[in-house]
Amino acid sequence: MIGHAMAVAHKDLRLAFAHGQGPVQAILLGLLLVFMFSLSAQPGERFTPQQGVAIFWLCSAFGVVLIFSLLFRFEEENDTATALLLSPLPIQGLWLGKTMAGFVLLALCQVFFFPAALVFLGLDPGGSLGSMLVMVVSVDLGLCILGGLVGAMGHGQGAKDALLTIIVFPLQIPLLLGGIRIGVGLMQGEDLAGLGDWFGLVLAFDAVFAGAALFLFPHVFRGE
Amino acid sequence: MERMHSRWLMLLAPAAMALMTVGQYFIWIYAPEEATMGLVQKIFYFHLPLAWWAFAAFFGVFVSSILVLVTKREDWDVWAAALAEAGVLLSGLALVSGSVWGRAAWNTWWTWDPRLSTTLVMWFVYAGYLVLRAADVGGAKAARVRAVLGIVAFLDVPLVFVSARLWRSIHPSVFASKSGGLEPEMWTTVWINVLAWGVLCTALVLTRYHGMTLRHRVEAALVRMQEKTLQ
Amino acid sequence: MMGARPLLRLDAVSHFFGSRLIFKGVTCALEPGSIMLVAGPNGAGKSTLLKIMAGLLTPQAGRVERTVPDRAMAFMGHQTFIYPSLSALANLEFWDALYGRRLDQAGIMALLDRVGLKAFALEAAGTFSRGMAQRLSLARALLVDPLLLFLDEPATGLDKASLTLLHGELEKARIRGAGIVWISHDLERDLPRADTLLRLGGRAMTYFGPASGLDVEGS
Repeated sequence: MIGHAMAVAHKDLRLAFAHGQGPVQAILLGLLLVFMFSLSAQPGERFTPQQGVAIFWLCSAFGVVLIFSLLFRFEEENDTATALLLSPLPIQGLWLGKTMAGFVLLALCQVFFFPAALVFLGLDPGGSLGSMLVMVVSVDLGLCILGGLVGAMGHGQGAKDALLTIIVFPLQIPLLLGGIRIGVGLMQGEDLAGLGDWFGLVLAFDAVFAGAALFLFPHVFRGE
Repeated sequence: MERMHSRWLMLLAPAAMALMTVGQYFIWIYAPEEATMGLVQKIFYFHLPLAWWAFAAFFGVFVSSILVLVTKREDWDVWAAALAEAGVLLSGLALVSGSVWGRAAWNTWWTWDPRLSTTLVMWFVYAGYLVLRAADVGGAKAARVRAVLGIVAFLDVPLVFVSARLWRSIHPSVFASKSGGLEPEMWTTVWINVLAWGVLCTALVLTRYHGMTLRHRVEAALVRMQEKTLQ
Repeated sequence: MMGARPLLRLDAVSHFFGSRLIFKGVTCALEPGSIMLVAGPNGAGKSTLLKIMAGLLTPQAGRVERTVPDRAMAFMGHQTFIYPSLSALANLEFWDALYGRRLDQAGIMALLDRVGLKAFALEAAGTFSRGMAQRLSLARALLVDPLLLFLDEPATGLDKASLTLLHGELEKARIRGAGIVWISHDLERDLPRADTLLRLGGRAMTYFGPASGLDVEGS
């Protein structure tokens, strides 16, 4: 299944960058959001770390929705979805592949969101880079695991992306709270061990929804 | 099946009305007024049953959704819809009553509290679930897609609760605290109202289930009629 | 050839969409090295039947038995199953990877050559004409050396040369022992190539049997 998933992810990334576009839409929206949030403070005023980190994760949450609607749109033209169902690919492999491709695209978006948040919101980056990366990766994983499952629900539905956000966002709440709390803690010099409760929560989210997706994805993505 | 449901409804609806009336008597006349909070405390007798039954209804959506996938019978999907509607209604009322309580007790309409926040997030999730239902997401496999949503929504609940609790907590924990406990008369009132709301909620769900099945049957009959006239 | 285990067997298969009956009582079998033509008026459920045979749909009643694993099965539908933003080569590379990577790049190029697309291997498939896209779709189907091949009106929009290519490849596959189920509108052209005919109409199977000796008009 891993091999199949890698093939899907590889193909999806190739498609995403086929026109030199990649996740440009998601990046642009994120940057725009950061800028627009900066309007909520007086010029020159600094945002608190909590505000800054919250805005960063909000941009990522929007990004995930756009990324996964893009990834599943790939299977609509010429009905490649049917071809995938006919192939020996275990259908969970498709979920895993989409999740992996989404993860890469989201990380790429965040490479842009992070400096933008520093610049527009006047944040001071602090704390260990390693811990920060571990945190971002584990929260991103949860976002993509959920995105891969829920994104498939919009499959074949035309413009249902906006509708799906209203269900994805509330489901993401525990992850976002975790991402914000850990991010702020790390910026203020705490170490990951001190944020163990939150870290455990984020990992629990990843595990619960990964398990659920393995069971439930076949019901979401089927020909009937 | 249909007849059985309407017979239950005939029984449950008047029972709900009677129990709600008795419940009011207990709230306003039988139960003593609370010393520090006064009359406002009576909100509690509405808030608690609303929150509990909302949660029960969401659990019902979860169970019906699993049954949709396991039994592949679409009537479980209708149960899930009826239960989600009831849950959104009750949790909405629980939120409003909780907010009024918060204004009186903590001097704020809204505050971050794990149970309140969890209820709000659940309200969002299931309100979204109902909107997606109405928008017919999923096409021909819609029932199964919705079932997945119903399952995922409930899996999120404990995670939301834990995260909200870690975030901040000030909710009065009625059961844990010894000093803030309730008088026995107050407990009697709570249980009677929980029962009354339970019966009312069941009647509501049955009514909606009944209505939706009838609608499906009428729609199917209309299609058949149209087909006949076309032939 | 007869007497070998059939590749595909349907037993009293019926299908509904909601409460609407599509067809009932389809019973048939596909022997190795044979072509089954599926015919019937529009809306008779030919494509639905093909999807049931391929395992994409589960029928409400009846049994479907396939002795061929997924990886030796190919399907050419109305849709081309092609990613328009990827090159012809990249498309085939992806499907090859999903089917267990049986070919290397040279093998895929040889396959593209076989369908006359070698010169366009690196061009985005979205720029292809209908005929070229169908050829690529055919290459996709041949990629797996199918033992069981499903075709849903593959001749639509094909020019003469592409049609000859298609018929030639089908003949080769048949000789190799593959079973082919083929939905066709042009019985006059295709019936002589078929071994059996399955006819749908009036929400039921109206004929299943040998294709030879049938009168095209009256059958």
